[in-house]
Amino acid sequence: MRPWRTALAGLEGPLVAVGGAVAAGALFMVATGHDPLAAYGAMITGALGGRGLGNLLATLLRAAPIVGMGLAAAVAFRAGFFNLGGEGQLVLGGLAGAVVALALPGGGLLTALLATLAALLAGGLWALAAAFFEIRFRVPLLVSTLLMNYPARLFASYLVNHPLRDVGSGLPQTERIAGGVELARLGAGGRLHLGVLVVAATVLAAAFVVRRTRVGYRMRMAGLNARFARAGGVDLDRLGYGVMFSSGALAGLVGAVQVLGVHHRFIDGSLTDPLWAWTGLMVALLCGSRPLGVLVAGLFFAAVQTGGFGMERATEVPRELSRVLQALIILFVAAQARFGFGGGEREGTG
Amino acid sequence: MAAGLAAPAFELEGITKRFGAVIANDAVDLRVAAGEIRGLVGENGAGKTTLMGVLYGMHRPDGGTIRVAGRTRRFDSPLDAIRAGLGMVHQHFMLFDSLTVAENVVFGSEPARGGVFDLAAARRRVARLAERYGLEVDPDSRVGRLPVGVRQRVEILKALYRRAEILILDEPTAVLTPGEQSALFEVLRRLAAEGAAVVFISHKLREVLELCHRATVLRGGRVTGTVETARTTADELSRLMVGKKVVAPQVPVHELGATVLGVESLEVRGRHGRSALHGLDLTVRSGEIVGVAGVAGNGQSELAEAVAGLRPPAAGRVLIGGADLTHAPIALRRRAGLAYVPEDRDGTGLAVAASVAENLLMGFEGEPRLAPRGVLDAEAIDARARGVVERYAIQVSHVRDPAATLSGGNRQKLVVGRELLRDARLLVVEQPTRGVDLSSIEVIHRALGDFSAAGGAVLLISSELNELMTLADRIVVMYGGRLVGELERDNASEERLGLLMAGAA
Repeated sequence: MRPWRTALAGLEGPLVAVGGAVAAGALFMVATGHDPLAAYGAMITGALGGRGLGNLLATLLRAAPIVGMGLAAAVAFRAGFFNLGGEGQLVLGGLAGAVVALALPGGGLLTALLATLAALLAGGLWALAAAFFEIRFRVPLLVSTLLMNYPARLFASYLVNHPLRDVGSGLPQTERIAGGVELARLGAGGRLHLGVLVVAATVLAAAFVVRRTRVGYRMRMAGLNARFARAGGVDLDRLGYGVMFSSGALAGLVGAVQVLGVHHRFIDGSLTDPLWAWTGLMVALLCGSRPLGVLVAGLFFAAVQTGGFGMERATEVPRELSRVLQALIILFVAAQARFGFGGGEREGTG
Repeated sequence: MAAGLAAPAFELEGITKRFGAVIANDAVDLRVAAGEIRGLVGENGAGKTTLMGVLYGMHRPDGGTIRVAGRTRRFDSPLDAIRAGLGMVHQHFMLFDSLTVAENVVFGSEPARGGVFDLAAARRRVARLAERYGLEVDPDSRVGRLPVGVRQRVEILKALYRRAEILILDEPTAVLTPGEQSALFEVLRRLAAEGAAVVFISHKLREVLELCHRATVLRGGRVTGTVETARTTADELSRLMVGKKVVAPQVPVHELGATVLGVESLEVRGRHGRSALHGLDLTVRSGEIVGVAGVAGNGQSELAEAVAGLRPPAAGRVLIGGADLTHAPIALRRRAGLAYVPEDRDGTGLAVAASVAENLLMGFEGEPRLAPRGVLDAEAIDARARGVVERYAIQVSHVRDPAATLSGGNRQKLVVGRELLRDARLLVVEQPTRGVDLSSIEVIHRALGDFSAAGGAVLLISSELNELMTLADRIVVMYGGRLVGELERDNASEERLGLLMAGAA
């Protein structure tokens, strides 16, 4: 009984947030003369049904980077470290993956593995640098990680515009990686690739680490009360380096998955324009940074986004409503954190 | 005392308040007359604060009526209660540190001239009010710089400024020195003499007997008795509180052994870089309990934190078992045999959102028995937690419940229980029984005694002089970051300690 109770205990908040956002979205639509039931219906079909399995597969394909970036953020948040630098770590990961895949002769599985490893390192080290600044010089992570997104993005942009540019294509992108390095497709003809499974497996592994291991225990306790963990003997500096490296490496992994699985080259803006990192942040906030929650919330946000296209096609409600819904959900989550609705009575000494 | 004859200032009738399945107040009646000081006593969780929360508009009662000055009232918020003439001084002060005393006092009903805040008028009124009630305080001081006792006066002024005729004080003496305490009592007596009704929540029976006209005892949400303090004893009150006679802890007799803790010329900087410890020397031997007395803010916390490794010393040495651990990481100190019960129970001692079992695991997660190959063994961790819960009679329905569901006393037993699980030879403990109920105090004191009897060294920092005089072999007094005196237990008296604590000796 108890595991169920604890599993359900955390769900009220997110459900209230989603419900509130859906209701507010409906009000918008009524106010602008649209039928919310029809729009939401079209959104659900657009995300999960229709076109054979096409819509569902599109949702899964979109979910991979969202869930991956959600996990990257969640791992850091859970331990109390504010990594807002997912975007830069993602870009550097994708870039490193593409560069290694292009540079190594031969190709094939080994190259794909080495490219992925390079992506993990690039993302991880970029985040590690921010951790170093915080631990050694007290530069707040919140600031450093956020600001370090810009040099990462601009550096990648410079490389693909100049030294690494595929001159023949006329676009700011690298050359295409060898076919053997691309991540295998799942099923014939589809766009779904092996990376989706890699992300899912990573989530399960992270859930195990966070919930069942010694390191995960230290992370969770540091996240709940850093001073408590410190007084108990947890080395917060070491934990910070480890957590930030892991978080950045996860973001780098997403970069590799997108480059090797979807774009098959590094295209300027391809990892930043879809706002994967920021959507991932919202996912982590919605699910309270629980890894399995990231899976659910990430799939949900992906569904809302793909569903938005279906809704626009079917009902003339613009797909920007998807973004509005996402923002509203986070607004509701933030409101709960601030005002604690539904929170219990504080007990006193009487 | 004329108290019984005057008209009731307020009446609570049949007040019932539930939180979920827990009944915090069960049909409680309470009538307090104008001019009366009423003690409200009971253990943690007896329902004292909840009852006053109901009266003060913080909780909506599930049943019963509230009458103030004869009129039936319904308070939707403390603002309603304040308008009806109530004032409450909470345990945690509700003041703005960066504003002055006068600004804090008038906050919410500021004097204004032409729609603009009239600071001069505010200062005048606050000064007049302070003088009238003998509340010594400078209206222009920034609250953040004032000692706790003075901040409390600001809280009382705030209530008086809003014309409170019923003043509720929740454990007001927990943070005061003996001197400040008698000053507070003077003020409360004067208020009562002018016709105010005062409710004094406390579990210090001696104070209740000294100050109050009558005392109402709560146990498990019900009133177990209301007595005239002139005709009762502390024994009778504590029987009403816990339902049985409380046995005072035995004074343990120790064989003193080798030096376990050595503190040499320790210098520690406090907050804002101010020096908090100035060359402090101290030793604690095996089997010895050394008490540290002092008014809060004279370096006691810095001493504890420097030994525990939470605050790096600027100079000097900290030796545990002969090993120089002045700059050692906390984990190393723990391995050298340090146990630490911090003053800030919820902020440092616990992660209240984590489960009881998880709280008991902190610092032990490295043990192969509990986490073989780095994977937590939930069964072993829970079983171990159940053992601690049983040994210290911690009231919790399941070890997977969050520590936040525990009362203050049970939380403290959780911290003490965890720290004494270690194979420790030194226990640094700050305010082990602050805000803790009587039966938990008994358990905690016995645990400290047992630890020292088994050869452990204890550094006991406490603002409860009684506690120090019962438990400690010798008591050192801190003032301004230095040791200003040392008394053997047999020579220690409240008066002598009080003088040293005030820096007067």
